[in-house]
Amino acid sequence: MASLPQPIADLIGTLSRLPGIGPRSAERLALHLVQSDASEVKQLAETLVNARERVQTCSICGSLTEQSPCTMCSDPRRDAALICLVERPTDIISIEKSGTFRGKYHVLGGKISPLNGVDPEDLRIGELESRLTTEPIKEIVIALGTDVEGDATSNYLAKRLARPGLRITRIAHGLPAGSGLEFADELTLTHALAGRREME
Amino acid sequence: MHLAHLRLRDFRNYPRLDVDFAPGFHVLLGDNAQGKTNILEAIYLMATLRSFRGVGGSQMVRHGQKGYFVGGKAVGQGEHEIKMYWSTAERKLSLDNQPVRKLGDYFGALRVVIFCTEDLQLVKGPSRARRRFIDLLLSQTYPSYLPLLQRYAQALRSRNALLKQRTPDDAALESFSNELVKLGNEIIRMRVELIPKLSPLARLAYRRISNDAEELRLEYQPSVKKDFVVELAQSRRREQTYRSTLIGPHRDEILLQLNDRSAAQFGSEGQKRTLAIALKMAQAEYLTGIHGSAPILLIDDVMGELDVKRRSGLLPLLERAHHTRGQVFMTCTEENWPRELGRDLQRWEVKAGALKKL
Repeated sequence: MASLPQPIADLIGTLSRLPGIGPRSAERLALHLVQSDASEVKQLAETLVNARERVQTCSICGSLTEQSPCTMCSDPRRDAALICLVERPTDIISIEKSGTFRGKYHVLGGKISPLNGVDPEDLRIGELESRLTTEPIKEIVIALGTDVEGDATSNYLAKRLARPGLRITRIAHGLPAGSGLEFADELTLTHALAGRREME
Repeated sequence: MHLAHLRLRDFRNYPRLDVDFAPGFHVLLGDNAQGKTNILEAIYLMATLRSFRGVGGSQMVRHGQKGYFVGGKAVGQGEHEIKMYWSTAERKLSLDNQPVRKLGDYFGALRVVIFCTEDLQLVKGPSRARRRFIDLLLSQTYPSYLPLLQRYAQALRSRNALLKQRTPDDAALESFSNELVKLGNEIIRMRVELIPKLSPLARLAYRRISNDAEELRLEYQPSVKKDFVVELAQSRRREQTYRSTLIGPHRDEILLQLNDRSAAQFGSEGQKRTLAIALKMAQAEYLTGIHGSAPILLIDDVMGELDVKRRSGLLPLLERAHHTRGQVFMTCTEENWPRELGRDLQRWEVKAGALKKL
């Protein structure tokens, strides 16, 4: 069987390292690219390089931005007393879409995961601690996932960040909005019951 | 509950099989190595996603083939269509043509209890065998138990990984300890509730099938005696030596006692055999009590090992499964099939990977 020319094989190898791209997809993409217009491919390459060069992480909150500090950190209309702590930069987009949070953010960059060799020191906790000394922060809202590692990390942060005059809260989890009880699994219902509230 | 249809492709020695089963009592007759037990294995696999022979997927693929398919239609309160495919490259599981995302939603579509020679491990084997028995029973009755158990296992693995580091971060360790305790206490609570309900059922079953007057008792011996938090903290020093979590529900034991003496240590071979069957009968009774309909009983050659007296103790259970429109599958060779079971048997001949109604 004739093998692919070396440049194509290299391209497949590079592409298959991208998240969500398996060997099959990588092969399809590579074969598509080498048969497209040279100008189109050049444009794609430039866009890639351009995006990578212009995007950086914000030196304060850790979100993805063109200029550091990012627009959210430098926006005076945002409540500087309120910080929402998220795992990844993309979580900010999810929360921003809801349009209800008017504070600032801090990206942790992961969660404590002994099985993947992620220690507390690998996360941006030190950066948050120094923000606590320089910014007028009154409340930290922990918005991490509810798997075992998310729960353990939230636990850890609540202890480590505790200081007088600082409120540490965690976003509620329970029933998804607009659905009936029959669609919730037992664990979710248990949490929802435990976190019940007085009717206003 | 009964299995109305079974479909196999390249499963064990079956290249292809499509067969309809009515409710009632099915006897699978045939010589050795014709594929009788493989039918039971396929049904058990659909119910629990495991082989009761304790083997992995690759051993269930027909020789020289890439993967196996097992499918079926379970009729209980509703009808459920189960399809599973396994190969080294991919695994698929669907319920009513929807891919299964959470196993907790899947278990319960088909409930079975198996009686097989491996049951003896429940008495003779390590405590893991008995925990697994209890865990399966709780998963079959409480949909929230399995996710809980999986979360606990995840917390345990994470905590053990931390303990294996050269200098574990104490604060990180503590946050995983909190998770472990929170989840572990819930598991312990559910096990504590189950055992006293199961113990009298097992005692009755034992009395029905045994010749002797021993009293069987199940006793839950949690690894945590009083307070998980305190005891976990106390075990820290030993944890440093062993570099793993030494107490918690993953170390629980379920003691089987005959006249207040350990059955594993003091029981005779015959008593152990009877005890293993009694536990399985208790499982079936318990499931029937909770769900209102009997689980499907799979009986692999166990009858052959029992004397007539003990066999007759098993009969009421089998007959009741029959009356409540349940289903029983039983493998036998021609010599040892239990003639005392009467006329209502549906007999199948199993020969070289094919089924023929007799």
